Amino acid sequence: MDTLRIYDELCKGVEECGICIYVCKEEVFRPSETLNQKGYRPPVIVNEDLCTQCENCMIFCPDLAVVVSEKKRKKGSK
Amino acid sequence: MNELVHPYHCFIRPTVTHTTFCPGCGDGTVAQSILRAIDGLGMDMDDFVFVSGIGCAAWIPSPFFNADVLHTTHGRPIAFAFGIKMGLPDKKVMVVSGDGDLVAIGGNHLIQNARRNIEMTVICVNNGIYGMTGGQAAPTTPMGVKTTTTPYGTFENFFEDISGLVIAAGASFVARWTTAHPRQLTNSIKKAIQKKGFAFIEVLSQCPVQFGRKMGTGNAVQMLEDYKKRSISIKEAKKLSPEELRDRIVVGEFVDLDKPEMVEEVTRMIRRASGEVQEVVDAGRG
Repeated sequence: MDTLRIYDELCKGVEECGICIYVCKEEVFRPSETLNQKGYRPPVIVNEDLCTQCENCMIFCPDLAVVVSEKKRKKGSK
Repeated sequence: MNELVHPYHCFIRPTVTHTTFCPGCGDGTVAQSILRAIDGLGMDMDDFVFVSGIGCAAWIPSPFFNADVLHTTHGRPIAFAFGIKMGLPDKKVMVVSGDGDLVAIGGNHLIQNARRNIEMTVICVNNGIYGMTGGQAAPTTPMGVKTTTTPYGTFENFFEDISGLVIAAGASFVARWTTAHPRQLTNSIKKAIQKKGFAFIEVLSQCPVQFGRKMGTGNAVQMLEDYKKRSISIKEAKKLSPEELRDRIVVGEFVDLDKPEMVEEVTRMIRRASGEVQEVVDAGRG
């Protein structure tokens, strides 16, 4: 299963909003070269391996357009 | 291979294809914090009745949440919520509205229902301006700021401490956060939902379109950065003088106490008046 998913059609653009790129500490996202149906420029995932699954992008996204898979927890930890 | 699905899309009305907010608006972050709190508590949307007034923040529950929602007249969501709570005491009632609605126009409803300490959660999304109607100066707009209606800057003192007002009115849970603290906000919403009494949460939220663009405070990212820089926790704020605290945002949970709740008191009174319970309760209270 993937670590990250972006709902392109829900996104309102990295030029107008851009919160996901700002809150990501690992430079996982980059602005896309194409526009979505509404004419906004969504982010694209470039470095999925760097993702630490901190869920910042998912929690801050105002349009519920980013999903991060749940962190695989070590045995015994909560 | 299963495709990753957003865990909170199931809480959204199927006919709603996208949020009604401007790009970068903090209201979406607040909406997700509410959904996260409800999901975290293991509750269902059917346990809730959402009430909203007029304004940008009122659009958070209104078409968006797949639950019972009342979109009411300007400034009166708390009055409607009071009626719902009296009629359906088993339901959790949550009011989500903006500063222009709850504090400016419906100010007295907020004060009086905080005083009554009726069980409900009130989330006041404070963006400091009348955003939906075109960026007019609100009572919460900082002094000296140029808006559509005050092209030379606002000349009134502004309403700085809404939480302080609600504390003075006697609410049993009061907290303030900004949209730069969504995790802490979620925890406070969880506590507020479980609270037996009037729970008030003020959320400072960025309005990049009406506030940021016109007043030069920048876009959504710059406003979030500004909130992060200016906010200070209540513990640290106690060590500082009022001069040092000027222009800072004190965040945290200010009040969390147990007080007699109105619906419970009414039920007790009905039982006493109808003769189910008598004398013992009277003697205990007298």
